Amino acid sequence: MLYTVNASPTSSRSLETLLRIAAAGDPILLLEDGVHAARAGAATERLAREALAAHPVYALGPDLRARAINMIVEGINVIGYDGFVELVEKHTVVPWV
Amino acid sequence: MSARVAFLMRHSPYGTVYPAEGLRAIMGTAVFEMDIVVVFVDDGVFVPLKGQRPGELDMKSLADGFPGLADVGVKDFYVHEESLAERGLAASDLAVNAEVASSARIAEVLAGCSTVLPF
Repeated sequence: MLYTVNASPTSSRSLETLLRIAAAGDPILLLEDGVHAARAGAATERLAREALAAHPVYALGPDLRARAINMIVEGINVIGYDGFVELVEKHTVVPWV
Repeated sequence: MSARVAFLMRHSPYGTVYPAEGLRAIMGTAVFEMDIVVVFVDDGVFVPLKGQRPGELDMKSLADGFPGLADVGVKDFYVHEESLAERGLAASDLAVNAEVASSARIAEVLAGCSTVLPF
């Protein structure tokens, strides 16, 4: 399962609730406002680290750049639209909206 | 007494239409020479963040729209201190010269307005 999270971790509990459900090893893709969870130095970095402890975590580059998120939590893979397509081809997608 | 209008911005840019519509509404309201304040709270502090590059999303930087508001008389910006700190940000990361305000100060600013428009 590929879980996509599109809500900011400071306005929604989506990522937090997802971490209770997703099986270890399932990839998580942060996109749209979900990429705020990748911001290093924010209080939500704790949540990102919790995600990384059990899952490969990806963040969509164009969404990061749009939001001026330049410092990314270490371990999160920044991907482009081509990488997004590759993930979607490989996994069943569960949008955690 | 002229109306004092607060634009309360609480959403992150690009993910929702709120901040872009807020900026449009501020410009539209400024034409009527009303006293305007702009308040950034919660994810709204991301709106005037410097360095936004939304070209790949086919959008223009929202942050770039705020400094120019001074030309239409909009100069009163307040940013919630706790919201900034929670996100690892400082006032120097913003494209506007905003007063860094405590929660109590934000409440006071809102209370001093006749209308609060949420975006």
